Amino acid sequence: MRKRLPKLTLNTFCIIVYIFLLAPIVVVLLSSLTKTEYIAFPPKGLTLRWYTELINHPEFMQSLILSIVVALGTAIISTIIGTLASLAVVRNQFKGKEAIVQLIGSPLLIPSVVFGVALLQFYSWIGLAASPLALIIGHIILTVPFVLRLVVANLVDFDRSIERAAMNLGASSWKVFFHITLPIIKSGVIAGCIFAFITSFDDLTVALFIVSTDVVTLPVRIYTYMQYQYDPIITSISSIMILFTIILMIVIERVLGVGKVFASKN
Amino acid sequence: MTQGDIVTNQEQSLLLQQKRKRNVRKKIDVWLLLLPTLLIFIFFFLLPLVFLFVTSFKTFDANSGIGSEWTIQNYVKFLSDSFYLSVLWRTVKIALLTTLITIIISYPVAYQISKAKGRMKNYLTLIVLSPLLISMVIRSYGWVIILSNKGVINNTLMDLGIINQPLTLLYTEFSVILGMIHVLFPYMVLTIMGSLERIDPSVIRASQNLGASTLRTFFSVMLPLTLPGIFAGSVMVFSLSVSSFVTPAILGGPQVKVMSYLTYEQTAVMLNWPYGSAIGFLLIFLAIITIVIYSRILAYSEKGVAIQ
Repeated sequence: MRKRLPKLTLNTFCIIVYIFLLAPIVVVLLSSLTKTEYIAFPPKGLTLRWYTELINHPEFMQSLILSIVVALGTAIISTIIGTLASLAVVRNQFKGKEAIVQLIGSPLLIPSVVFGVALLQFYSWIGLAASPLALIIGHIILTVPFVLRLVVANLVDFDRSIERAAMNLGASSWKVFFHITLPIIKSGVIAGCIFAFITSFDDLTVALFIVSTDVVTLPVRIYTYMQYQYDPIITSISSIMILFTIILMIVIERVLGVGKVFASKN
Repeated sequence: MTQGDIVTNQEQSLLLQQKRKRNVRKKIDVWLLLLPTLLIFIFFFLLPLVFLFVTSFKTFDANSGIGSEWTIQNYVKFLSDSFYLSVLWRTVKIALLTTLITIIISYPVAYQISKAKGRMKNYLTLIVLSPLLISMVIRSYGWVIILSNKGVINNTLMDLGIINQPLTLLYTEFSVILGMIHVLFPYMVLTIMGSLERIDPSVIRASQNLGASTLRTFFSVMLPLTLPGIFAGSVMVFSLSVSSFVTPAILGGPQVKVMSYLTYEQTAVMLNWPYGSAIGFLLIFLAIITIVIYSRILAYSEKGVAIQ
């Protein structure tokens, strides 16, 4: 009894915390099924009406597609350039290396709202209008630090004698990279790519400063919509985003294992 | 000098030349690998920040826009106005409270997860990480549904007859702190878990064998050993909370202004770029100061550990 009571208290406490963590997600998912014209939780009646209603709001679907395009572009470019930079940084000693590593890592220290403001002013000075490319460039700055960290973590205990063996056997440096180096650091590269995708897909702070009336990402669309309206459309599009993320999570779990990805992040 | 020596000397200089060539080649390779990242960071990160810094020293007029004169008035305006200082203080206060409450609620959870085994551990970790993975906008929006005047909490309390008037929960410091804890909780749990898992279980057993109660073991053995983890988590949570934008914008809005919202408002709504830039730099300053203090204390505490 003396031993059981603390354990029971601990478990109860933890369950309350888990409910707290999941509450907003569950509330959004369930209230998207309500039959009422306003957001109700618990939902009153069950219907998929608000999902079909999305057809009458093509702007949400346009934003969803734009967000996916931007996130894909960001993920691909930042993974490629981040992996190249990691190779340079881990395998060589050169002047100014410390400064360069600091520079690439510093977006993590700068509040992203300040970076958003800076980018807004800079874009308007050089005359670059809101476009998928303008968004992708902003997001690359936010995501390359993550790619660098994850890939560097994989490269640090890389046994280079395998590469040298391949070289001695006559393989070109490209062949060595694609057949030896890349497969070994694969998990870091994929993790970096997925992180970059999620970060870009979710970003409101930087995108808010770059978007224009026709180029609006989904998080910005949801943010501005809910400042004027309070109907279940917002919960249905949010639920689609949640389901999308859950699917992505299952893929990560299958490919890499969650623990591994997050262990290297922190 | 024999002929053989001359040949080796020639060979040596040839080898040296080749080596030098290889080194030059290697240097070019390194910079080629770095070039794309470096160019993007210089042009779209460093340069915009330099521009921002310059703008923060410019004058502004509501009719004519950004002036050409230099001034420190933007910084003076902020630091001499009690309204703006109250926003700064609110930002720090919210971050402090968030950090403190996050420590208290994440410690038990981190302990429970570190004790769990196998698949259970994976599931629990996944629940803890879930707020990190769901869009910030959406989870804040979930809190809006829960906390609003017609939200879950108010409806339940009114149905039960506990209150007659809905409580004002949304757009208060309370709602901002709640949302912030929800967002930043995973960072704290993960760092505390890391330090809990590094404790040698025999230390705990030793303490219990010597007759210490569970509470005594916790306060005299476990807590001190995990202090570095708590500390690292706190700095992460504090600095993320000071600079976060989405949560305070959705759950606090104009009613509960924090530094990041003020920066946004001055730049995107008022279009006063010079003043917005100055506030932005004060915000950077606040975030960096946190990290500097942290590394100082960390260096100091590591020295302390070494002395012990």
